[in-house]
Amino acid sequence: MTKANFFKEMHEMLEITSVDTITEETVLKELEEYNSLFLLTIIAFIDDNFNLQLSAEQLASVTTIKSLMELIGLKKFED
Amino acid sequence: MGIKIVNIECFLPEKLFSNEDAFSLFPNFEPDKIEGKVGIRKRHIVSENETALDLAIKASEKVLERYDKNNIDFLILCTQSPDYYLPTSACILQEKLELSTSTGAFDFNLGCSGFIYGLAICKGLISAGIANNILLVMSETYTRHIHPKDFANRSIFGDGAAATIVEKSNDEHIFEFILGTDGKGMNNLIIPNGGMRNRFNPNAELKSDESGNSRTDNDIYMNGPEIFNFTIKAIPSLINQTLEKNNLKFEEIDYFIFHQANKYMLDYLRKKIKIPAEKFYCNMLETGNTVSATIPIALKDCIESGIVKSGDKVLLCGFGVGYSYGATIIKI
Repeated sequence: MTKANFFKEMHEMLEITSVDTITEETVLKELEEYNSLFLLTIIAFIDDNFNLQLSAEQLASVTTIKSLMELIGLKKFED
Repeated sequence: MGIKIVNIECFLPEKLFSNEDAFSLFPNFEPDKIEGKVGIRKRHIVSENETALDLAIKASEKVLERYDKNNIDFLILCTQSPDYYLPTSACILQEKLELSTSTGAFDFNLGCSGFIYGLAICKGLISAGIANNILLVMSETYTRHIHPKDFANRSIFGDGAAATIVEKSNDEHIFEFILGTDGKGMNNLIIPNGGMRNRFNPNAELKSDESGNSRTDNDIYMNGPEIFNFTIKAIPSLINQTLEKNNLKFEEIDYFIFHQANKYMLDYLRKKIKIPAEKFYCNMLETGNTVSATIPIALKDCIESGIVKSGDKVLLCGFGVGYSYGATIIKI
């Protein structure tokens, strides 16, 4: 998946309205939408697209979107 | 020889808790999002003096209106909200329903997998000649365990009971089971205090999460994301194993009824397992997640509304607290 697509799909999937776009620097917990349903959506999105299940503990450690991408594996993203 | 479900009746407490009620108490609550994604608009909840046993009595009385109670020779109650540590709620229920004293009775403590395990117990008891006509009751009041300021859990759970008559029959209507347990998940859905390990603590610390929901260790704690991970891992293979054990192909199943956890989780599981939407039950809009009662409530709805018809093969699947899970296939 390209980075641009990842940001766009995350923005749509998570129904984010508090910011216009997502970037590598976006801090997940600072988003107004952050709650347990939001985390469920991230788990589903990553399982669906990367066949990877992130634990609640891993998700809790996520700061920026870049740190989430590092958990998934940066090799899985094209520029 | 086999066993079959003869009748199901449900009882939901009168009091309601709607998304608007939640919003009026907690401004972070988003009624539209909760209805759209979680799939719940309102829940029936018990009042302060109402218990799971009270709901069990009401549901059982309803089902016994059309069944001679003198024929009941076994009573099984699934609840995690007993009136007392002892005696067992099922013993009190036997007396309240005026069932014969020759009735066997016990409780078992399971949550969302309870109905599947209940059917498995019924099959064992009837096949072994220990019982012929069983009253199987699911009754749960999780709202009594939720902290008033925990709106994440208040948005999901409702209270309710379902009473099912299971009896011996000439041909088999309840097929083979796959059951499973993974106690590693014990801390992800738990009431930490109040049992023998950690007694109820009147001074328990109030803890709050990022969204502003609060609870203490005397209340229910649910790690939603981890429960979701567990279902993603366990349920697809549970379905395949259940089909395999019953020598049935996916296409031969007429309908699927899963524990009604929440709409988001069910939609995702359905897509992952590739079950067509028209073969999959998803309706907790006006009940919420009633834990062990969701499957019989759904099954009754399906039978009454004609969604499933006589002869249909229906796959039932329950999963949750424990972790505990199980599935079977029934013929209507």
